[in-house]
Amino acid sequence: MKKTLAMITTVALGAGLLAGCGTNKGEGGANAGDGGSAGKKVTINVWGMGEEAKTLPTVAAAFENENPKITIKVQALPWDQGHDKLLTAIASKKGPDVIQMGTSWIPEFAEAGALADLAPYVEQYPEMKPENFYEGAVAAGKSGDKYVSSPWYVETRVLYYRADLLKEAGYDKAPQTWEELSDAAQKLAARGKGKYGISIDPKEQSLGFMFSRQNGAKWFTEDGKPNFSDDKFVEAVKYINSFYQNGSAPKDLGLDIVPAFKEGILPMFISGPWMIKLIQDQAPEIEGKWAMAVLPKKENNISLLGGSNLSIFEYSQNKDAAAKFIAFMSKPETQLKWMEQTSSLPAATAAWENEKLKNDEFYKVIGEQLKAAQPMPVIPAWAQISESYLKHFEAIYRSNADVKKELEAFNAEAAKLMK
Amino acid sequence: MKGFLNKQAPYIFIAPTLILLTLFSIVPILVALVISFSDMDLGGLANFDSISFIGFDNYIEVLKDPVFLKAILNTLFYVVIGVPLVILFSLAIALLINLGTSRIFKVFRVVYYLPSVTNIVAVAVVWSYLYNPALGLFNYLLNSVGLPDVPWLTEPTVAKLSLILLALWKAIGLNMIIFIAALQGVPKSYYEAAELDGANTWQQVTRITIPMLRFAIFFVSVTTMIGWLQFFEEPFVMTQGGPLDGTLSVALFIYQNGFKFNNFGYAAAGSFVLFVSIIVITLVQLRLQKNESDMT
Amino acid sequence: MHTTTAGKKRSARERESGKTFQWMSGGLLTIGALFFLLPFFWMILSSFKPEGEILQIPPTFWPKRFTMDNFAYLFENMNFGVYLKNTLIIVLFSFVGLLLNAIAGFGFAKYDFKGRNALFVLVLATMMIPSQVTMIPVYLILNSLGLTNTMTGIVLPGLVGAFAIFLFRQFMSTIPTELMEATRLDGASEYRIFLQIVLPISKPILAVQAILTFIAGWNSFLWPLIIANDESLYTLSVGLSLLKGQYAAKFGLQMAGATFMVAPVIVLFTYFQKHIIENFSISGMK
Repeated sequence: MKKTLAMITTVALGAGLLAGCGTNKGEGGANAGDGGSAGKKVTINVWGMGEEAKTLPTVAAAFENENPKITIKVQALPWDQGHDKLLTAIASKKGPDVIQMGTSWIPEFAEAGALADLAPYVEQYPEMKPENFYEGAVAAGKSGDKYVSSPWYVETRVLYYRADLLKEAGYDKAPQTWEELSDAAQKLAARGKGKYGISIDPKEQSLGFMFSRQNGAKWFTEDGKPNFSDDKFVEAVKYINSFYQNGSAPKDLGLDIVPAFKEGILPMFISGPWMIKLIQDQAPEIEGKWAMAVLPKKENNISLLGGSNLSIFEYSQNKDAAAKFIAFMSKPETQLKWMEQTSSLPAATAAWENEKLKNDEFYKVIGEQLKAAQPMPVIPAWAQISESYLKHFEAIYRSNADVKKELEAFNAEAAKLMK
Repeated sequence: MKGFLNKQAPYIFIAPTLILLTLFSIVPILVALVISFSDMDLGGLANFDSISFIGFDNYIEVLKDPVFLKAILNTLFYVVIGVPLVILFSLAIALLINLGTSRIFKVFRVVYYLPSVTNIVAVAVVWSYLYNPALGLFNYLLNSVGLPDVPWLTEPTVAKLSLILLALWKAIGLNMIIFIAALQGVPKSYYEAAELDGANTWQQVTRITIPMLRFAIFFVSVTTMIGWLQFFEEPFVMTQGGPLDGTLSVALFIYQNGFKFNNFGYAAAGSFVLFVSIIVITLVQLRLQKNESDMT
Repeated sequence: MHTTTAGKKRSARERESGKTFQWMSGGLLTIGALFFLLPFFWMILSSFKPEGEILQIPPTFWPKRFTMDNFAYLFENMNFGVYLKNTLIIVLFSFVGLLLNAIAGFGFAKYDFKGRNALFVLVLATMMIPSQVTMIPVYLILNSLGLTNTMTGIVLPGLVGAFAIFLFRQFMSTIPTELMEATRLDGASEYRIFLQIVLPISKPILAVQAILTFIAGWNSFLWPLIIANDESLYTLSVGLSLLKGQYAAKFGLQMAGATFMVAPVIVLFTYFQKHIIENFSISGMK
């Protein structure tokens, strides 16, 4: 229990991250040479998750050009299936060489012994040195003293909105507070049948925790026990629930967010930086009509700090080649290229010197929000805890169950999971 | 050597299949029984030493688990509504097709059987689209005749019924074929005799066909019952048990605990509860059938 | 046959009412058939719609503009070629299983050996074991044999099946023993008898089983999903379920994947349906 608390504190401290983000010039510009992989041709399997995995092959191709002896095979998995597939991979001790790790997964899989220690490779490849990256992302990649996952990209959640529609509803700028957000959503929903105010994805595990933190809730008691049913938490969940109950957020729409945003069916939503690219690509018609803003605040407007790291699978036969690939992905240049293609934010601090990141209006918003962004707790049971939260939240928003009671039940389950 | 091989031929003929069946059907039952008394999980898979035996704990836990109890209730819901509907529809369609004289009725045979040979994932993909609240065809059709939207997969009870509808669509064909095969086994002379006695079609069906089909009906109801007690694929591919565990079946509960949460021991205990229930229910059915045939 | 005038009159009236009945049942069946076919039409038509039309509200039934983009995408970006290859490998192996079943059915049908009945009961008993009970242990067994994430692991557990053995035994019991006896006197080994006498005679049931085996292998889903971790081992069904998760709102793409999976089976089945349906008479399900 003490250990858990210690870990939480470490991360919380590490999360004041951007304050200390200096101008750490990337030392790893030079190609690390053939690094021991001379000779045989090897193929390494990379498991990428979700949307970005679809673009990964283009970056991998650049790597293959530099390293003709290494072939990269990218396997794209949806986030939810990726988790299950990884578990079976651990069971069979067979699977990928490089895995994309959602930062919230790392403690669980590190504990299952699935992630190789990166320390020897950090020695070998200066690109992978922890001081190149945001502290928070590095902290997420540690399991105890072991460094198991190297930062790839960071993300935080912001508010996307249709400026034109919001203006019609009487808002010249994005809602600044919880009250305004709720009010704006209701006004937008009042436009007529089939129109809504905001999309709140009920399957998104972190939203409830994020809102409760904005409300000043403390997730753990002083002695490290879960504290998910205190008044602040309840109030936050009631606030989220109000969007579903007053009809300003749809429970089941059956539409993808981008087309719905384009049609104005869902004029607001909260999501990460990857949406910039998706909206630009899939809905060029609404360019100039939409904007982004930092989250509305209650006591604070602290957003979620997440992202993905890259790890080497413990049972990989090609660890050297895998490390080489991770080193390549860690380079600021690669991460910037990656950003252009997927609008993911580089975890390498040197990349943030880039003009685009400094001047682009969208990225400026994200940079602003990153100053108020913190990760989820780094504990092995977190994946299961947030899964359990979703189940109770489903009872709340679907059948309008008593919030306090559901959260008390959830808290009891969380306590059991943390043992 | 050749002579020996020839002498042992029957054993050599059956050996490969027997070995495979033993390895993948008989041994697993025993393994399942053993692990249902253990706390086997992901760690236990990598290292057998970390497994410990915990007696009946899994069984006690699972029978107290509200999610499992909900899965049992859902499964009963599926069985009580699904089984009679399958029998009714497949029998009715088989009768209509069998009484038909035109060639077109042969075409119907194919049409109704088609869903049975269709891949379940493809079915899920298509039906999820049909059921989609905004883009789906079903709600569109309802709206165009002035009816309101139906929450096909988003309201627990409706979702169960939607899955039953889908399962009916998929299951009727096979059972219909069994009935048609049985119908063709009813001697023509019976009908000719009845016709001479002045019996009309309806009387022929109720007095001759249905009684003659008793065994086929019994066979279909037993297999259908067993099938629906193991109802798995439809909720697995369509809803993953949601919303609010409203479509979670016992079989899906077992799968999820096994392969999603890696609680192998717990899942094995649940699977034995299911296994025993299926045996008991089937025995009851056999008993009822026996009593009935004793009476006549 | 001689019929009286009264009889003629009645049968004419009967025929008249029979005709109405035919039309009514035909009508009923047509309505039902339309409902049964609707998902297929919807799937095929939607697979040719461009993305924009898919997202249109209200939906269109007939595509305004036909496009092959969805199918092209499957093969260019989704490795559907690999999935197709794996699926065909599985189908191929299940034909090996079919042969094993036939051999075993023959052994049980035509030889009297010690323990035959007990063993046959054992085979039949395996039919009653629900797959949910064996799923986890089989996975554990394969895992400890190091066969998870291998083609062998995908194929092996479902290779033989009690029901097929049962059907083969039923059919082969009807082969006259004298025929085998005569060949045996010519000095043929038991294996040659099987290959040269039994197999040719068993063509009808082999054909039926082959089609059913093909359909089952082509559709196999759950086991490949559990066992295959590596994309290079995915089957079409697994690939399609992945597509459903990854491209949740790209219905055009999903429908193209589904069409690609379903169309061959529809064609095959429609072509061979007569044999399959007769199979149920062969299996003595009366």
